[in-house]
Amino acid sequence: MPSTPNSEFITAPSDQRRQQVAEQLRAFIDADKVRIDEESLQGHGCDWTKLYKVNPLAIVFPKSVEQVQQLVRFACDEKIALVPSGGRTGLSGGAVASQGEIVVSFDYMNQMSDFNAVDRTVVCQPGVITQQLQDFAEEQGLYYPVDFASAGSSQIAGNIATNAGGIKVIKYGMTRDWVAGMKVVTGTGELIDLNKNLLKNNTGYDLRHLFAGSEGTLGLIVEATMRLTQPPKDLSVLVLGVSEMSAIMEILRAFQNRMPLTAFEFFSESGCKLTTAHGLQRPFESETPFYVLIEYENQSEQDAETAMEVFEYCMEQGWVLDGVISQSESQAENLWALRENLGECCAPFTPYKNDISVTTSQVPGFLEDIDAVVSQAYPDFTLVWWGHIGDGNLHLNILKPEDMAKEEFFEKCQAVNKQVFEIVENYQGSISAEHGVGLVKRDYIQYTRSDADVALMQGIKAVFDPDNIMNPGKIFNS
Amino acid sequence: MKILVAVKRVVDYNVKVRPKSDGTDVDIANAKMSINPFCEIAVEEAVRLKEKGVATEVVAVSLGTKQSQEQIRTAMALGADRGILVETDTELQPLGVAKCLNAIIAKESPDLVIMGKQSIDGDNNQTGQMLGALSNMPQGTFASEVAVEDGTVNVTREIDGGLQTVKLNLPAIVTTDLRLNEPRYASLPNIMKAKKKPLDTTTPDELGVDVAPRVQTLKVEPPAERSAGIKVADVAELVEKLKNEAKVI
Ligand SMILES: Cc1cc2nc3c(=O)[nH]c(=O)nc-3n(C[C@H](O)[C@H](O)[C@H](O)COP(=O)(O)OP(=O)(O)OC[C@H]3O[C@@H](n4cnc5c(N)ncnc54)[C@H](O)[C@@H]3O)c2cc1C
Repeated sequence: MPSTPNSEFITAPSDQRRQQVAEQLRAFIDADKVRIDEESLQGHGCDWTKLYKVNPLAIVFPKSVEQVQQLVRFACDEKIALVPSGGRTGLSGGAVASQGEIVVSFDYMNQMSDFNAVDRTVVCQPGVITQQLQDFAEEQGLYYPVDFASAGSSQIAGNIATNAGGIKVIKYGMTRDWVAGMKVVTGTGELIDLNKNLLKNNTGYDLRHLFAGSEGTLGLIVEATMRLTQPPKDLSVLVLGVSEMSAIMEILRAFQNRMPLTAFEFFSESGCKLTTAHGLQRPFESETPFYVLIEYENQSEQDAETAMEVFEYCMEQGWVLDGVISQSESQAENLWALRENLGECCAPFTPYKNDISVTTSQVPGFLEDIDAVVSQAYPDFTLVWWGHIGDGNLHLNILKPEDMAKEEFFEKCQAVNKQVFEIVENYQGSISAEHGVGLVKRDYIQYTRSDADVALMQGIKAVFDPDNIMNPGKIFNS
Repeated sequence: MKILVAVKRVVDYNVKVRPKSDGTDVDIANAKMSINPFCEIAVEEAVRLKEKGVATEVVAVSLGTKQSQEQIRTAMALGADRGILVETDTELQPLGVAKCLNAIIAKESPDLVIMGKQSIDGDNNQTGQMLGALSNMPQGTFASEVAVEDGTVNVTREIDGGLQTVKLNLPAIVTTDLRLNEPRYASLPNIMKAKKKPLDTTTPDELGVDVAPRVQTLKVEPPAERSAGIKVADVAELVEKLKNEAKVI
C-alpha cells in the first residue's frame, strides 16, 4: 500500500515508553481504562482494513467529556498524536494507529439520554452503537434511517466522522442529515457546542458539517444529538434479475418515475454465488449477470399495483429477466441478506475494495468504462460488484485468488487503481463515495479534490488543531 | 391426484403485537399481514408434488375476510392452480375452520389435504386434527417429509426424541412442520399469471356451517415485564446470590 507509514521508518514504542505514558495517563483516566497489553493494542489499534502495521502507544477509554479534554491537553503538551476510534468498522484506515499514537476509544461512553418526543431527537454519547439508536427509535415508535451491514458494530461518532451513507440514502440522505447538533473537543482541548440542535440557525458557518466526514482530523466528537423520523410503512422488497449493467439505470428511472423508493441496490451474479454458498436461498432459479434490489413503501393497495406495472414494463423492454417480491417481513429480510451479507462473505478472500461514485445519470457510461479496464487487467480474478447504485455509488471488490500472496495481489490491484481513478476524474466523480479517505485513499485524493481544495482543508485543520495531534496523516499529509 | 391446501392470513411473524388498552384482544389494526409460515410450507409441498408429476391439481383454500384473497393469490403465485375463499367477518376458531374445510372436502374430494400444523396467531394446533376426526381421514401431523406412493402417503413426523414415519391410506391429511421444506419466493411473472387463475368465493352459510365462536376470550394482557438484570462483581457474589436470593443452588 502506498500510504502505509512504512514500518522501517517508524519504530514501535518501547515497552518502557508505553509503561511510562500509561502511568501518566492513569493520573486522570481510570487505571483499567488505559491499556497497553498486546491484545488491546492490536485489537483497538486498527479498523476493518487490516492492511497496515498496527503500532499504537496506548489505548485509552475515557468515560467523560472532562477526561477527553484532559487527554487532549496532555497530548498537546507531550506532542503525542491521537487516533479517535469508534466501532472500528471503517474501510479507509481512518482509525488505524500505525505511528505510535494514542488510540481514543469511546466504547465506555455509550449512553443515550434526553429523548425529546416533540423535537424527535435523542442525545447520544459518541460510543452509542448505530443499531442501539435504531432499536431505541423503534421503541419510541420512530425510526433512525441510516443503515448498513455494519450497523451492529459501528458507533454514532464514527458514523458522523465518516458521514456514513448506506442502503437508505436514496430516500433519507447521509449521516450528516440526521445530526441536530454535536459537542466536540478540538485539538486544543476546547469544548464547543455546534448548532445546539436548532432546525434553523443561519448565524454564519455551520461548523457541524465540517465535522461530518472529518475522519477525526479536526477534533473528537464527544456528544451528538440525533434526529429521528416517522417509520416507513409496510416495506416490500423486489429482487430483479437484470440482463446487463446498462439496463440497471433504465430500471431505476422506470421505477422512480412512478413511485418513491426507499432503496435501490445492485449486485452481480458473482456476489449472489457467494451469499448463496453461505446458505441463502437464490431469489429465483435462473442466473442473471446482475440483480437489483428495490424497496418501497406500501402506502396503499395502489402501490403494489404500480410496482407490478413497472415490473411488467421492464420485462417488455427486455431489461429484466425474472423477479421476486417479498411476501412477508422474514422474506424481505432474507432478500436483503443477499445484498447485505456480501461484505462479510467477501472478507475471507482479502478483497481489494473500491468505493466510487458519479452523478446517477452518468453511471451507465462510467460503468462500461470501468468494467472494460478492470476486466482487461484482471481476466482471471473474480470481480464482485455491488453498491448503492441509486445514489451513483458502486463498490467494486476484487477477490484474491487463494494461491496468490497478499503482497503480489495488492501490487497488481494498485496498478489498475490509477486507471480506475483516471476514469473517475474524467467523470468528475469521487474516489471515495462513503467510506472516507483515511490512509487507503490518501494518495489519490487529487483525483477528486483540487490542490487549492486540499490546501483549504489543511488550513481548516490547522485552525482546529494547531498542534496537529488529531489523527495526523489521514485524508492528506499533515 | 388433487391436493387441497389451507392457507391463513395472519399477522406477520416479525410484527410485535401488543394488547389493546382495554384488554379485549390484541391490537392488529394496521399491522402487516402475511401468509402463515406453516401454510406457506404446505403450499410449497403441494407445488413440489405437482412439479414431480405426483399431483395434477392444487387448490388453495382460505377462510376469513375478503382480504384473505391476497394470501390465496400468493398461494397461486407459488403454483396453486385455483383458489376458494370462504368469506366471513366472524372470528374464526379451529372447530369452525375444520367444519368448513370438511364441507369443502365433500365438494372437492381431494386425495390429499396439506395444512400448517398451527397458525402463528392463535397457536392452537387443532384444526388438522379436528378435520381428521370430522372427515374420517387418517392424519399425519408435524410432517418433516412427505412421500406419496401407490395410494398411500408416508409421513415422517417430528416427535419428542426423534422421528416417526406413518403410512396413511389416501385420502389423508398432512400437517406441516418447519423443516419440511424451504418455500420459494413468489416470482413476479407468476404473480402476474396468478391474477388470471380462478378464485371462487363462498360463505360458511352456503356451506351449511355455523362458525359462531365456541370459546370466549376473557382477557388479553402482556406477560409480566422481566426485571432488569444486575452485574455482579465476582464469582463469590454470584454464588452468594444464586444461593440466598435466587435459591437455585
Ligand atoms: C460489512 C461492512 C459494511 C459497510 N457498509 C457501509 C455502507 O453501506 N455505507 C457506509 O458509509 N459505510 C459502510 N461501512 C463502513 C463503516 O461501517 C462506516 O464507515 C462507519 O461509519 C464507521 O463507523 P465506526 O464507528 O466503525 O468508525 P471507525 O472505523 O472506528 O472510525 C471511522 C473514522 O471515524 C473517526 N472517529 C471515530 N470516533 C470518533 C469520534 N468520537 N470523534 C472523532 N472522530 C471519530 C476515526 O478516527 C476514523 O477516522 C461498512 C463496513 C463494513 C465492515
